[in-house]
Formats: sequence, structure tokens, C-alpha cells
Amino acid sequence: MLPERQAFVESVGLRINVVEWGDPDGFPVVLCHGMFDHALGFAVVAPILAERFRVVAIDARGHGDSDWADAYNWPLDILDIVHVLEWIDRPCFVVGHSKGGGQATDAASSAPDRVRKVVNIDGFGPPPLAESQEPTPERFREFLKARHSAAEVKSWRSYQDFEQLVERRGSQNPRLNADWLRFFAYHGAREVDGEWCWKSDPHMAFTFGPWRPEWIAPGYRALQVPMLAITGSEPDTWGPLPAEILDPRLAMIRDVRRVTIDGAGHFVHMEKPRETAKAILEFLAA
Amino acid sequence: MIELVHGRVRLALTERNSATSGLPLLLLHELGATSDSWGDGRDPAIVWDGPVFALDFSGHGSSGPVRGGAYTPELLAGDADAALRHIGTAAIAGLGVGAYVALLLAGGRPDSVPAALLGPGRGLLGGGAVPDPARTKLAFAREKPAVEGYSPDPRVAFLDFDIRPSEYAEVFAEAASHLILLEDDGERPPWWTAVRPTSASVSGGLGEGLRCLAERCRA
Repeated sequence: MLPERQAFVESVGLRINVVEWGDPDGFPVVLCHGMFDHALGFAVVAPILAERFRVVAIDARGHGDSDWADAYNWPLDILDIVHVLEWIDRPCFVVGHSKGGGQATDAASSAPDRVRKVVNIDGFGPPPLAESQEPTPERFREFLKARHSAAEVKSWRSYQDFEQLVERRGSQNPRLNADWLRFFAYHGAREVDGEWCWKSDPHMAFTFGPWRPEWIAPGYRALQVPMLAITGSEPDTWGPLPAEILDPRLAMIRDVRRVTIDGAGHFVHMEKPRETAKAILEFLAA
Repeated sequence: MIELVHGRVRLALTERNSATSGLPLLLLHELGATSDSWGDGRDPAIVWDGPVFALDFSGHGSSGPVRGGAYTPELLAGDADAALRHIGTAAIAGLGVGAYVALLLAGGRPDSVPAALLGPGRGLLGGGAVPDPARTKLAFAREKPAVEGYSPDPRVAFLDFDIRPSEYAEVFAEAASHLILLEDDGERPPWWTAVRPTSASVSGGLGEGLRCLAERCRA
């Protein structure tokens, strides 16, 4: 279902697009999508939540209908979420998927006065870096080379046929039906000169820095509100993390409840929206 | 002034003398400064026997801002790399955040940077060696209202909060051709301490540091 309202929230000089479902006076639930997704990835689960709440879904900077930035890093994404929480100006529940789950968690830690509970849908970070992923000077040279040519990179690869773009996304979401994929792709892409390309900013791929997955678990200690940790039961193109990695991370959270959604992979809320919404609603009501 | 482009940001590079021969020197300023406010009054162009260039980092001086404020040392190293592409092989002298950027670039481009001088100044410390949620909150609190004293983009102040782990600095120091640390009694961050074993040290101020850098480049 398409959103009922839309607004732009100013954050660090960028316009952050937010879309809403449900009673504007209801208790707010803020939704944060994952890398290269967009707010309407919640278009099935959001209306179910909106039967009880005001639901506000964010297009992260560089995604969907939010502005592109000149560069990207994690803390500024968190700050954008905090600015949306300030714009709502009431205590909120925050829900995030994948990268958005990690960011929803960090936003809850950064603005504890504005967040009452957090739901993290398979956003517990990558496994420890493989040797081939270590931030070495050799890989820094690759980053510099990419930055050098960045001015020439205007968009992601474009597709002559919209169905090709849908098919490409379908390879990442093998459990989603064609109609859903077309809806998601239609709202996440734009037509330029007769060709289709994703709205997201290709410059988001050009990052380099010292960040390590080992920093995730200590960061969870700062979370002062309860978390619902949702994972799918099925292996996928990304996640879920094996128990020997996920369990020690979640053990750092003082108040965490865990739910596994049967039959879902990484994109739990897209593949099993009703089951996901039921788990979220039970947690928020508790 | 020479105009460069890095990503979507326009950068200003200034030639500080008219030398046409000798090894070029690239100056990287401290946080919140500009290419005009370099050092303690001793213009490196006087003591350096070769062309001297000074870069305005993005968000500083005559260079454009980074839209959205995601300033990181690695991004500033991309600024300096754009300058190196224009200049060619060059020694680097960096102060404050410019020193950390000089370390990254000397490690990332050892074939283009025969030696680098790292000196103290604003932005040297960053946000510490390990993440600290309290500092993240402080960074966010300082975003509104905009921090005084940094222009034209006050959001360069985020460079006071990025994490600079010791082991990360060590691998760049080990890859660099030659590093010289300008020492004094001031505070030094863990990353600086970590690169000491693989670096030379000099005291006596910027002029002495530049003489040491020039000697090293002649050797």
C-alpha cells in the first residue's frame, strides 16, 4: 500500500524523505531500510503496523527520494535518523532492517530520550573481516582510484528494459514474487532517457576506513532500551550470522528478546510481512 | 590558484613560490585552517628548495564543502591525492588532521611520496583509538548549532570525532617510504605513539622539521 503522507526533513544540509501511514496522532514507529533499499520496502508491513501506530519510513541519504551527499559514512546516517526523531518530537519506537537495523540501534543509543524500544531485523553486522577485506594500504589505493574517477560515475548501470532491472533485483530476493519485485523496483528506480536505473547514489560504494565488525558488540552495551532481534530461518545472500558470531554480540544487550521467522531469509519483512508485523506488535505492546 | 576536482567537490590548490626545479612539497593544513594559515609564520616556501604547493581541504578556505557533512580523514586523503595527481611525486608536510592525512597518503602512495613530515595541530587527536558512544553523542550535540570557528563549513568539526586505531595507523606507517614526526611537549594520540617505532623524530619546530624532511629527500 502506498504511503498516506510525505515530507522532507532537513538534516546536515540534505533533504531526507519520509513517508507515513496511519493516525498522525498515534505513537510513532520509525522504519529504517537497508543498504540500497528504500522506504517503500516496508510498503506491506507498514500498513499492518499502522493499524495501531503512526508509521514513519525514512529514505536514507543517497537512497530513494532523499538527497544525494558528496560522501557517506555511518555516523552521518545515524545523525539523519536522530534528526527525524527530533522532527517527530515525541518518543518513538524504531525499527530497522539490515544496515538500517544497525543504524536504528545506534540511533537508539545516541538519542535514548527519544527512543522507547528498538526492533532490529537481521542488522547485526557482517562477520569478522576476512583477510581480503582488511583495510590495507593496497585497498586504500583502490579507494583513491575509485574516488579519482568518482566524478565520472553519475548513476548505477542502466537497463533498457524495466523487466531486466526487476530480474536483477530478483536474483537477490529469490523468495519474492514478481509483482512485489516490480512494485519495489518501480519506486526505487527512475527512467532516464528511456533507460531504467536505481535512484540510489553509486558513490555510496566508495568508502574506506578503519571500522571493524568487532566494534559492534561493545557498542551494544550503550543501548539503554529493550531490543527485539528478528532473524529469518533460511540462509540467504546475506545472513543470518552463525550462532557463534551472533550470540556473543546479542549477549552484550541488557534487554533483548529474540524471534526467528520461519521460511524467511534476510529480507524478513518483505518475505513474511504478516509474521514480522505480528512479532513487532507483540513486542511493542509488551 | 589551481582548481582540482575530487568526486563532486571542487578543490583549491595554491602555488606558494615560483620554483621550477627540485622536488615539490605539498602542504596539508590543520583542522579549520587554510592554505594561507600554514604553520608558525615561517613560510615553508622560503626554506624549501623546490616548488611548494598548499591545498585547501574540502570544507576549508577556497575549496567547496562536502555536501551532507561526511568528512573523514580518508576523504581528505582523496583531496590530497587529487593534488598529488596534479603535482606528481612530492614530499608532504601535514599539521594536525593534515598530519594524519599525510600518514594515510604516504602509506597508500609510497611511490609518489618519498617522505612525509607529521606535525601537531588542530585535528591531530580525532575521536580516539576505539569507539566511544559518549563521544558520538557529543559530536551530534555539536552539529546544532553549528560549531563556531570553522569556516566555510562548520561540519568539518566531525573530524574531531573519527576513530583512529593504532593498528590501522601502524600498517600505513609500515608501508610508507619515510616518516618524520615533529615532536614537542604537546598531547599525542595513540595512533602517533603507534607509528613512532617506524618513524624518525625531530624537535625544534616546523623549520627544523622541514630541513630534516629536505635532507631525507636528498638522501
